[in-house]
Amino acid sequence: MTGVTSVASLTPWHRSVLGTVVLYLHFVRLAFLKFLAYRLRYYTGVVSYTIFVTGHYYLYGALFASRVVEHGSMEGGNLIGGLTLTEMITYVAVSWIGRSFYFNNIHRDLSSMIEEGGISLQLIKPYHVQDVMMFEAVGESGFRLVMFSLPIMVVVVPLFDISGPPDSMLYLWTFLSFCLALVIYSQINFLLGCLAFHMKNIQGVLRAKMVAFDFLTGVILPFTFFPEWFQTIVAWLPFQGISYVPVTIYLGKRAGSDLVWALLIQLAWSVGLYLAGRLVWFISVRRVTVQGG
Amino acid sequence: MEPIIQVRDLTRDYKLIRKREGVKGGLIDLFRPRRKILRAVDQVSFDIQPGEMVGYIGANGAGKSTTIKMLTGILTPTSGQVTVGGLVPWRQRQQYTRNIGAVFGQRTQLWWDLAVVESFGLLKKIYEVDDDAYRRQMGTFNDLLGIDEFLHQPVRKLSLGQRMRCDLAAALLHEPRVLFLDEPTIGLDVVGKENVRKFLHEIRDQQGVTVILTTHDLGDIEKLCRRVIIIDKGKVHFDGELDTLRNRTGNPVRLTLELREPVSSATLKEMTGNLPVSWQAGEGLRHQGEFHRREVTGAEVIKVIVNACKVSELHLAEPAIEEIVARIYRDVQEGES
Ligand SMILES: Nc1ncnc2c1ncn2[C@@H]1O[C@H](COP(=O)(O)OP(=O)(O)O)[C@@H](O)[C@H]1O
Ligand SMILES: [Mg+2]
Repeated sequence: MTGVTSVASLTPWHRSVLGTVVLYLHFVRLAFLKFLAYRLRYYTGVVSYTIFVTGHYYLYGALFASRVVEHGSMEGGNLIGGLTLTEMITYVAVSWIGRSFYFNNIHRDLSSMIEEGGISLQLIKPYHVQDVMMFEAVGESGFRLVMFSLPIMVVVVPLFDISGPPDSMLYLWTFLSFCLALVIYSQINFLLGCLAFHMKNIQGVLRAKMVAFDFLTGVILPFTFFPEWFQTIVAWLPFQGISYVPVTIYLGKRAGSDLVWALLIQLAWSVGLYLAGRLVWFISVRRVTVQGG
Repeated sequence: MEPIIQVRDLTRDYKLIRKREGVKGGLIDLFRPRRKILRAVDQVSFDIQPGEMVGYIGANGAGKSTTIKMLTGILTPTSGQVTVGGLVPWRQRQQYTRNIGAVFGQRTQLWWDLAVVESFGLLKKIYEVDDDAYRRQMGTFNDLLGIDEFLHQPVRKLSLGQRMRCDLAAALLHEPRVLFLDEPTIGLDVVGKENVRKFLHEIRDQQGVTVILTTHDLGDIEKLCRRVIIIDKGKVHFDGELDTLRNRTGNPVRLTLELREPVSSATLKEMTGNLPVSWQAGEGLRHQGEFHRREVTGAEVIKVIVNACKVSELHLAEPAIEEIVARIYRDVQEGES
């Protein structure tokens, strides 16, 4: 066997830093445009989110009323799970408005790309699929903010008389916290999508995820409703950073250093999950190229 | 000249699990799967010079796509070496991909929901193509492929032929040094195939790009490639000039003719003079014959027949690639024994 001798050579190539920024911003823009083309779908979404919040409004109303009957009055810290009725309604409204913002389907898009083999075309492009998907998610959430979350706010806030946070600076912190939630949510979805590299049929897993997620993030119920042990577990998981943390920031439950800590922990999870995604992607792709795509 | 692509003893195995039958078989499979190794590409070696356009042909399952996937870095080989322009495709994937373009016939690399022009705009940024080059390339593509016509339509609304034209343009936008085409005419109708072939012909002459083109349709390479590599069951069985191949195999082209007025085959032979076509004996409107490309071109045959008789339909059937491959394969086996 002859060794491979020198050949007419290609130049190794790296995209410039500016080029990289321009490229990923372009992905943000394209995703925004793509969802804009499908905007009609989201009008029905506004209705269903509103119905959801309405359902909770009456549910908690009844729950608190039954408490009043038991205790004979509204006085004396009539709290359930540490929240008053007003706070409870606000919790539900803010968490669903948040969900309408950070939501995406990276796990489904990625897993079907892997199952249907389209992944091979991604491998011959000089970019990182993980980054592309993250920035597309940013574009999608930008669209969602304008075309979905805002309309829901316009309907829900006056309807249930949702009040602002105790301090108007908290608007800013809540938004920042929801932006970090978007990163955490997207990166978990990315990791879930990567499962398709290693499992034949992950659709079942992904369906189970849909239900488990809304519990673990605190969208369905505040963690304070659950027993002590459950709260201890979720405190060590990244999911609380998706909904529970930003909503409790809005409610003013985290002040001063508590607030800073909450945001820092969200940031740490964002970075950690991103790096985990990098690693899993790298290992998975190597397996695919070795085993056949 | 130094070759731009060097392939040495390239080999690729797939591990398969052979399923047993029935419920019991299924249970046994869980614990003791029967593994089988399929050698899809077997000790393949070749060199390709810069600017060459080479046809990589073989029947379905011959190992063409597997080879292309290794050359593009999507698959790692079981053994053997590949360098393209000094880079190892699966090791230096990110740097490598800037220098190559690829089209996989069954899949599009365009963004499904976006207008075609948005995909090109994105590719421009992905490969950092500067404005001048972008304008120049898009101009060329429009001249050759007429893509301006559907530039503003979403990809999902394009016909297969239009989509393939866009995919070819997309693979060439960044002026890659090497282009890999895996079945670029698959599923296209006659006009679609013709468009693709004409385009590749122009591109070969204009841009000096090195091309490997896989196909199981001999028509694709006839006009494009002087050199072909034939692969069957993972092994290279022929590597050389297309003409050599044709002469070696001697499979005839089949001709079917529908006339407006009935004649006998003897008369037909007389009317077409000394055309080296062997006609099947018969009377009436429909006639069949065979000829060899090394003796006469298809164009010559058609010209003579159309001038001599009142033709309503004329059809040429190329020797099927499967036949040629089968024949070569047979020759190889005979040679070995
Ligand atoms: N991912 C895979 N896993 C297992 N076997 C495969 C895989 N891809 C291809 N094969 C097998 O390898 C052989 C060569 O396939 P391929 O390279 O796709 O051939 P071609 O492109 O010439 O039709 C075939 O027998 C095919 O069934
Ligand atoms: Mg193939």
